[in-house]
Amino acid sequence: MASKYVLVCQNVDCMQRGSGELFQKLKDKLAGSEDIEVKSYICFGGCQSGPNIVLYPQKVWYCGVKQSDVEDIAAHVEGGPEVERLTQGIDPTLKDLIYQVLDAGLF
Amino acid sequence: MILFPEGRPTKRQSFEEYRASGGYESAPEKFSPQTILEEVTESGLRGRGGAGFPVGKKWEIARTTPTTPRYVVCNAGEDEPGSFKDRVLLEHHPHLVLEGTILAARAIEADSAYFYINETYADCISRMTEAIAEATAAGYLRSLKVSIHRAPTVYVAGEDSAALEVLEGKAAKPRQKPPYPATAGLFGKPTAVNNVETLANIPLILRNGASWFRRYGTAESPGTMIFCLGDEMNSPGAYEFPFGTPLRQLYDAGGGLKNGKTLKAILPGGPSCAFLTSDQLDTPLDPESCKRAGTTLGCGVMRFYSEDTCMVVETLRIAQFFARESCGQCPACRMETSMLATMLERINEGKGNPALFDQFQKILDFNRGKGFCALINMPGLPITSALRLFRDEFEEHARTGTCRYALPARADV
Repeated sequence: MASKYVLVCQNVDCMQRGSGELFQKLKDKLAGSEDIEVKSYICFGGCQSGPNIVLYPQKVWYCGVKQSDVEDIAAHVEGGPEVERLTQGIDPTLKDLIYQVLDAGLF
Repeated sequence: MILFPEGRPTKRQSFEEYRASGGYESAPEKFSPQTILEEVTESGLRGRGGAGFPVGKKWEIARTTPTTPRYVVCNAGEDEPGSFKDRVLLEHHPHLVLEGTILAARAIEADSAYFYINETYADCISRMTEAIAEATAAGYLRSLKVSIHRAPTVYVAGEDSAALEVLEGKAAKPRQKPPYPATAGLFGKPTAVNNVETLANIPLILRNGASWFRRYGTAESPGTMIFCLGDEMNSPGAYEFPFGTPLRQLYDAGGGLKNGKTLKAILPGGPSCAFLTSDQLDTPLDPESCKRAGTTLGCGVMRFYSEDTCMVVETLRIAQFFARESCGQCPACRMETSMLATMLERINEGKGNPALFDQFQKILDFNRGKGFCALINMPGLPITSALRLFRDEFEEHARTGTCRYALPARADV
């Protein structure tokens, strides 16, 4: 049973911006970590800034993620430093709402 | 009654029968654009498609917008689940609807009118095609150009600006408003988009006068409305009643629920309204009374739920309907509708954390008004009212993933 989740939005906008491939790459990259699960997510509502990836329970929101960011994100999930360049541009109210929804178990 | 003499559709009226009943005696010499506008405004007629906008006002805006040409669209897209009043009117009284459309075009000085009819309504399309040919041969159309277009069967295609997109040859996606269609509609020109039932009232208002029309209904909502009852009733079908009629009268007219079942809940205005409970059967059927009771009348689709209905499943179906029918162009709407449906799925399956219950209102508040059309606001009332009225059922589902009610889910929302 994983205790850390990498939630990758798989709704229309994010998918058009490559989140399908991001999802697969992260899954492959983190396949060896039993404690970590890469999961698809319905939508975080931050469509204009996608692709969006949220780390839970760390509550770190990465937006505008590119394929070249996969290494750094995977490293962060495995205990490395936060990828600060990907953490800007999401409305704090939206973040708060999504984190509450995640806390309520919706993922 | 106003639209159906017997309060129910009984006879498919022919051209001759319509003329014999006083139809098409509305020549321009008798009813000028100004006369029509004044009489319709005086009648207090409001749109019957769901939004209830004053018809006279909409036409006045279109007419005084100094751009030409202007257009009229008779909206028979009718994709509201359970609604069939447009179909019934077009099948039974095509000339009444056609004359109403001709008068609308005259009122706003439009030179073209479009019949936007649900593509699955083959009978309506053939009835209207025949009616247009008959009225043209008799000279009633004068210079008005009239055509029929097929409306795709997706929910948003009935929204007025999405209908205009379809008529322009594009996908059925609502436009951002303002501008509203009355000022910048079809091809950017002033356009009156009116529901079939709205237009059917027009010839009768002019023939009999606004004060006659106001004898029906309430002071704020004059006239009648066609209500659609589904097959959970002993006598399903379309029923016309004056606004202000107690809900109970409609329920009784429909013969009550099948198999003598007891009433549990009512959805009085389609899937976007709030549930009422059986003790609210005396609510008068008019927009103002329904608002006071916490719900809306929409376009008049009534759903009655029996004592053994699982309200969790019914609410989930409504949430899934909006998630499916969201056209996808507004991110907030896509997020909201899919999230609400997923949350209800979790609760239904017994995988819902109790904290989920508090998230519904937050998600709705966050997204309110963020879409181009009204769809983003639609799941709110049914979901929040169901959670309030049938909380114990939702909690039971969240705990156990099952339910005490054996009735299988309905085939539609």
